[in-house]
Amino acid sequence: MTQPPDAEGRKVSSLRELPQAIEPARDLWPHIEARLSQIRAGATAANARAPLPASQRAARRGWLAAAAMVACVAVGVWIGRSLLPGAVYGSADGAASTTGASALDAVYVSDPRYARQRAALLRSLPAHLAALPPPARAKVTASLAALRKAKYDLESELGKDPGNALLQELLVNTYQDEMRVLTDVRDASDAGRGI
Amino acid sequence: MTHAQAQDSRVEWEGALVQRACAGDTRAFERLYREHAGRVYGLCLRMTRDAQLAEDCTQDTFINAWRALAKFQTRSSLSTWLHRIAVNVSLARRRKSPPVVESAPEGEERLANDWTLETPVEVHEIESAIGALPDGARDALVLHALYGYSHGEAAQMLGIAEGTCKAQLHRARKLLRERLGVEVN
Amino acid sequence: MGMARRVSVALWLLGASAAVYATSDRTFERQVPAQPRGVVDISNVAGSIEVSGWDRQEVSVRGELGAGIERVDVTSEGGRTTIKVVLPQISGRHGEADLHVQIPKDSELDVSAVSADIRVSGVLGVQRLNAVSGDVTSELAGSDVDAKTVSGAVRLKGHGQGARLHVSSVSGDVHLEHGGGDFEASTVSGTLVVSLDSARSIRARSTSGDQRFEAKLARGAMVDATSVSGGLNVRASAEGGYAYEVSTFSGDIRDCFDAKPERTDKYAPGRILQGTRGEGAGHVRLKTMSGDVQLCDRN
Repeated sequence: MTQPPDAEGRKVSSLRELPQAIEPARDLWPHIEARLSQIRAGATAANARAPLPASQRAARRGWLAAAAMVACVAVGVWIGRSLLPGAVYGSADGAASTTGASALDAVYVSDPRYARQRAALLRSLPAHLAALPPPARAKVTASLAALRKAKYDLESELGKDPGNALLQELLVNTYQDEMRVLTDVRDASDAGRGI
Repeated sequence: MTHAQAQDSRVEWEGALVQRACAGDTRAFERLYREHAGRVYGLCLRMTRDAQLAEDCTQDTFINAWRALAKFQTRSSLSTWLHRIAVNVSLARRRKSPPVVESAPEGEERLANDWTLETPVEVHEIESAIGALPDGARDALVLHALYGYSHGEAAQMLGIAEGTCKAQLHRARKLLRERLGVEVN
Repeated sequence: MGMARRVSVALWLLGASAAVYATSDRTFERQVPAQPRGVVDISNVAGSIEVSGWDRQEVSVRGELGAGIERVDVTSEGGRTTIKVVLPQISGRHGEADLHVQIPKDSELDVSAVSADIRVSGVLGVQRLNAVSGDVTSELAGSDVDAKTVSGAVRLKGHGQGARLHVSSVSGDVHLEHGGGDFEASTVSGTLVVSLDSARSIRARSTSGDQRFEAKLARGAMVDATSVSGGLNVRASAEGGYAYEVSTFSGDIRDCFDAKPERTDKYAPGRILQGTRGEGAGHVRLKTMSGDVQLCDRN
């Protein structure tokens, strides 16, 4: 059994003297916060899809805000990974979760930055695609289409079931993957021109 | 400030944070998390006996609490409410069969009141002994003896009859006595 | 011959030799000393890059340079050897170079290519291999490998030694044989086919690409594979067993353990299959939106 820490040495005369509070080995808040953002994004998406009276039509823009919020979490993890060289997501010693946690904390306010970066990458995408070798261009275009379809399918289902944690997680993944692909295509086209 | 006044002040402070969290303020919810995470994790750890599982249970507890915040009555104890959620989450995670219902032992064996030990014992020995208890006995003991819930409250949290809860506590006391070699009063 | 005529002949000769330089294939050869654990950095646009490790403390470069290649720069300074294929700065000119590079086997290797294929063997140090549409093929030797392509395929082959392996591709397929240690892969539409002789952790992600894993998991290993519409097929055995959780929104769940998936909600799609193999020391989590999931024991 995993023992509560700091249990060695001290003696007690009653079970009531045992500590009620035991701090976990790592800060669990970043993961909780990320899940809460997903829940809130799903709720906002559901509101945006329901028939609204004229006075609440502005809430339709909530989906963009929700998407940006979800993407805020997504880019948090992405930026965390790119800012922390050597961090390996998923290594068994748990080191990645600690470094990832501080990245999420730092990036929670990066929502407008994500939106600006994505918009800039999308504007320059046609030029970047044109700079790729033709076989690569065709495959990447197909992959971007797969991403668009995945986003559409996930958002549609989340509209009906906004609290679905599985779909929320997959949507966050898809936002991350889209950003990764847009960045990789930009870097690849620069590589082709630069050499 | 008297203890009662301090308690009232705390309930009021938490109530204000809960209201802000209900309105979507995750920073307010974080404040509540920081205040209660240790006790929730301590409960999860003792029920699941696994640090990784206890972390998962703690996270799920707070996420479920966030979803259900609107149902929380702000004049009651947030700590108790969170513990109820934590117990449900821990039991679901364990996915074991319900605790064995034991018939009440013959004769009048008194229930331990303060769970005092005849002679002091090292913390790690006691935690180890508690960890080795069967699930049902351990759950009842942790809620009643460590976290101070009454028989009725502990029974309700565990989804068992009060008589069953008392029987589990009898069993826990007997097994602890055998394992630790000291009387448990 | 008058001066004007001499100049014009000279210019004609220069022009002729430039034309010869630009239009004919030629070979290139260069050796430079190198530190046994230095860094070797190679970049090429098109053609191929073949790297092999050896016991000498030098880097040897041989190349077949196609028309349109201006030159190959090889420099060695402060423990870093750089090999760069240079194209003329004229738009529309493209050239291919096939490079054969031998490096000290404990070197750290960085390779960048656009459409050149990359092949690495006998290198024991850390490898960072980056191609756009070229394929990446490498032997694993117990050091970390980071392989990235946009559309090229990635093929890695090891002998089960533990290392950190990170593979990323947009649309390229990823094949790993006899890997070990910590494995992380992400692809949008490529297929992942992976075998691991001893895995501590596996994290894999795809959008529409299928994933197939055959893995022997170390005690307490973590497996986390997700896909939106790609299928997941996992065959695993684990020291100490593992707890598993398979969830899908609308895909099928098949397992070899006679377990029955449950609905996650009475009123909404979604199914989950949970259980434990052996002691349950490890954790296997498989999640899809619409991709089918299969989980079985590895024989």
